[in-house]
Amino acid sequence: MTDPYPAIQHWLIPRSVLAETRKRVQEEGQNVRESGALWLGERGDAARVLAVVFPRGKGVEARADKWKVTPEVFGTLTRWAKPQNLSLLAVVHTHLNGVPPRLSRSDREYSVQVPGILAIVIGEGGAETDHQKWGWYLYERGNYRHLTAQDLSGHFMLEADHLFQTCEADADAVRELT
Amino acid sequence: MESQVNLQEIKQVAPPPAKDTDVEVTVEYLPAAKPFHRTYDGTVTVGTVRSDAMTFFGVSDHRDRDTHQFFLEFNGQRLINMNQTLDQLLGPHRKGARFNLVEQITPGCAQS
Repeated sequence: MTDPYPAIQHWLIPRSVLAETRKRVQEEGQNVRESGALWLGERGDAARVLAVVFPRGKGVEARADKWKVTPEVFGTLTRWAKPQNLSLLAVVHTHLNGVPPRLSRSDREYSVQVPGILAIVIGEGGAETDHQKWGWYLYERGNYRHLTAQDLSGHFMLEADHLFQTCEADADAVRELT
Repeated sequence: MESQVNLQEIKQVAPPPAKDTDVEVTVEYLPAAKPFHRTYDGTVTVGTVRSDAMTFFGVSDHRDRDTHQFFLEFNGQRLINMNQTLDQLLGPHRKGARFNLVEQITPGCAQS
């Protein structure tokens, strides 16, 4: 049987993806509610982020202590992503000021649980500029493992700018952002 | 001798001819790199397709503090009748169907 989750050795992340993610989650959350983004790309030995999608509006629940995306949004996103051969690589969300950028028990239970998926937490409502201070977690062997600085330097490559799509999504549609 | 072996191998790998009632099913799951593909008889239920796709994608309905359930989505609609056959869902003339697998998490349905 073909493995639907081929192992990823390296993640290739355009630097602008980090900046764009930070900027838009900050705008959306306004430091009063959590917000987030989904990174999509082609999954393989090397997985490059090719699209950043910001779920918001219909089908997204955002509070000071929770950011939740409904299955209807994931369905809409799947119909948009799969014809482009894009898969979900990472679920990124913010924690507000004073809440450490660590994956809480609820975050673990609510996040997608398949091998190789990343869960990333940006502190200070998205204002933390140093991505090394974000919480980076990898789902493997049935659990999320916190990635160390050594893991990050060994498996994550920040690229000079590579083209990627920036979109917003709700339960009805995915729309390109300019 | 060699050609006999080859003929046997060909017999083993050649798929059976498609019947009129066969339905080519594809199920996509957003985190997966590859879709689930299988040919079903039209009398097979949506529940069977859901179950086979979940096995392929390595996911399962479960409870922690919340209840996690997986659904098939078809044409943007969540399928809730697991006893419905593919023929009933698709009609008699449709030979293929594309579904999405999505997860519903219902908070607080389990005791921790």
